[in-house]
Amino acid sequence: MTGMIQGGWEYVWVVYGATWFTLAAYTVSLFVRERSNP
Amino acid sequence: MIASRPGLVRQIVAVIHKDLLVEWRGQARLLAMGTYAVTLLLLFSFAVGPDTKTLQQHAAGYVWLALLSASTMTLTQSFRVETEAGALEALLMLPVDHRAIYFGKALANTALLVVLAFLVMPVAAILFDLSAAEGLYWLLPPIVLGAAGLAGPGTLYAALTARVAAQQLMLPLLLFPLIVPALVAAVKSTSLVLQGDPMGQMSSWLIVLASFDLIFWSLSGLLFAKVVEE
Amino acid sequence: MKWENWVGLLGLALISVGHYQGLFVAPPEAMMGDVGRILYAHVPTAWVALVVYLVAFVAAVGSLGSGKRGWDALVESAVEVGVVLNLLLLFQGAVWAKPTWGVFWTWDPRLTTTAIMAVSFIGVLVLRAMLNRPAQRAVASAVYTIFAFVSVPVVYFSVKWWKTLHQPFSSPETVDSPMVTPLRVAAFGMLFLATFLIARRWRLAYAKLSREDEAPDLPPAAAAIRLEGGGA
Repeated sequence: MTGMIQGGWEYVWVVYGATWFTLAAYTVSLFVRERSNP
Repeated sequence: MIASRPGLVRQIVAVIHKDLLVEWRGQARLLAMGTYAVTLLLLFSFAVGPDTKTLQQHAAGYVWLALLSASTMTLTQSFRVETEAGALEALLMLPVDHRAIYFGKALANTALLVVLAFLVMPVAAILFDLSAAEGLYWLLPPIVLGAAGLAGPGTLYAALTARVAAQQLMLPLLLFPLIVPALVAAVKSTSLVLQGDPMGQMSSWLIVLASFDLIFWSLSGLLFAKVVEE
Repeated sequence: MKWENWVGLLGLALISVGHYQGLFVAPPEAMMGDVGRILYAHVPTAWVALVVYLVAFVAAVGSLGSGKRGWDALVESAVEVGVVLNLLLLFQGAVWAKPTWGVFWTWDPRLTTTAIMAVSFIGVLVLRAMLNRPAQRAVASAVYTIFAFVSVPVVYFSVKWWKTLHQPFSSPETVDSPMVTPLRVAAFGMLFLATFLIARRWRLAYAKLSREDEAPDLPPAAAAIRLEGGGA
């Protein structure tokens, strides 16, 4: 098929990076909050 | 059920009467709100620039944004009066159906907004050089249904935030995202009256507006008792 | 180990597998090429964010009906996790929109609804922070959560009628079969991970609400001080 977007891997990495970062950061924040409110 | 207790409708009417009377006694406030809304219209013109064509095109949007802004003042006021003197507690002690308090207040707020709209509309007509393409009476349904769309959930949210210190901030913060559909439909239908409606879209927008009102007025009526009993 | 940690680990494993397949195994998307691989991160986030908001809605109804603090804690935790996913979703959507539509933002119904959803539910969290009396806070946030949830479809359809800038776009039904498996795996992974997060957050919220109830007439800060002093 013509008109397929070429490249653009940088966008893909940004999205996956943000996804993993957000999930990890939120999980860590939960553990930190649990620590401070035993 | 106590036999001598008046019906729901009469209770609602009594609440409307009380609220509008309070509002009428403080005429200065209504005047202040009208002036505020008109000032906003002027500001929109300055922000957009003196291009008559653009202003004309977006006039409905400016009018509704001005009304929306001013409405937060009437809404916060509608429970401020009650909470200040502990009057809400007294009102809740009376053998009045809580739904009557909600619908009474919501209808009173709707009426106030309609009055405000009729104050603002002529000014907008002069400022933006508006003329109604579809007959002036067609403005009534969007204004009434749109005002109800703001006042219905707005009254419940005012009760919800009545005891929050930062109510002036919280009410719009909570209310504005919710009323996006009402705003869209009210602006579109008003705009169709002003600019003409060659595609006959008017009725679908009014249906959107009416459905919005129906959904959120019933939901608010259902949940109001829970909110004030707390 | 608590049950939710196992669920969380399972979720982590599934997401890893799903994302790996989406990135390196699945073929490039017919129109969007490699950019289309964002699908495997974006669509599961969208689905799970909606499911989490549904949980918040159910919890709100339960909280209003029963007045139990367990439901109230669930409202707090589900809304917070929902908002996190919602904000992530917005970011993913904006980054995806740039190479496909040429802009970060369009007034597409889904995009617009997502944004309005985010502000609505952030409102719940702000409202909770501003109310000190537990019972009042529970009712207010439950009512507002119900409203915010009900408004999602209303906003969606009104924006859809207002302006449809939508381009043919891979919605779940039109996804090709080699793409379905990684998508499903990632979606279930996300669901399990969200379950884990809600459960952990719920324990926090429940503990805090319980402490408040032991010192009812004091604002939270004062209650905390009193509890520390009492060695509780």
